Amino acid sequence: MPNHDEMKPVDTRKIREMLNQKKGKMKRYLSFCAHCSLCAESCFLYMAHHKDSQYMPSYKAIQSLGKLYKKRGKVDRKFLTEIKGIVWRNCVLCGRCYCPIGIHIPSMIALARSICRSQDVYPRLDESSAESWL
Amino acid sequence: MYGLIRGPMVSIAFIVFVFGMIFQLIQFFKLTRKKGWVYPPGEIKFEKKTAGQWVAFCLASLRGTLWRTDPLMMGVTWVFHVFLVGIPIFLLGHNILLDQSWRLSLWSLPESVTDLFSLVVLACIIFFLGRRLFVTRVRVITTVYDYVVLLIAAVPFLTGYLAYHQWFDYDTVITLHILAGEVMLIAIPFTKLGHMLYFFLYRFLIGSEYSFARGARTW
Repeated sequence: MPNHDEMKPVDTRKIREMLNQKKGKMKRYLSFCAHCSLCAESCFLYMAHHKDSQYMPSYKAIQSLGKLYKKRGKVDRKFLTEIKGIVWRNCVLCGRCYCPIGIHIPSMIALARSICRSQDVYPRLDESSAESWL
Repeated sequence: MYGLIRGPMVSIAFIVFVFGMIFQLIQFFKLTRKKGWVYPPGEIKFEKKTAGQWVAFCLASLRGTLWRTDPLMMGVTWVFHVFLVGIPIFLLGHNILLDQSWRLSLWSLPESVTDLFSLVVLACIIFFLGRRLFVTRVRVITTVYDYVVLLIAAVPFLTGYLAYHQWFDYDTVITLHILAGEVMLIAIPFTKLGHMLYFFLYRFLIGSEYSFARGARTW
């Protein structure tokens, strides 16, 4: 049976507000990323998952926050559920990722998390999901 | 067309580049504010070392850095960036043009050297292109835009090389070369080439040995 939260409409105005609030910073982080992938090895999750590209810090930021900015906040619950795994499971916000240009990747993931949380998209202990949150 | 690209477009490109950079610089300091505290200065004890100890110390300090995790990419990107900025500034032909118009010029490298160096830059670009095409972790975050930016960086060097050797029609090639240079200058402040400026500005936010003012600013 679908969860009540899964059918709740997304407050796109709130998302847009949150995105605009940090637009100057995040847009500069996203647009000056050289897409060099040199941040990969600094992520312990990337190393622990046999160098699986989806754990690369820049991939996580671009796929979550980058997409949110690209869509200008006009997203549906399906999209937020898609990025849920990226921002809540694939990144633990340890802050060890190293960008040669100096981009602070955790702050991007943290904003994507805040946006997800504002729309009640976050992992729960009683979640009956095939995905492991460990 | 040739007149437009050689004449007013050059000034326009430089004006857009300079004002774009100033705009980005002002924006950075407007968006960030001074932090209430700074990171304490690192305690480095300078001890007398022998040459062997120095080498060991330097090698040890590379541990955990990108020079150890991806030495090939670091070497190539280092050479690429130094030459990318250095060659156009210290090119004889550019300095002669500067001398003719403004009566000032910089020190110039011999033409045979810059000729070889531009080939090195092109080789680096081919390396980056290869990475984008064949390395999975780079390919997953690559978009068409990345190839366009790589092209913007490649064309001035390719056309410059062709023009120097007078291959193909010289007039067309040199016009393309000037146009490519102008496109690059205009693109720098507004595309991801802006990391030219923000590489240094982001140091204000980082509290480590690679920072300015000990990470005294924050968003």
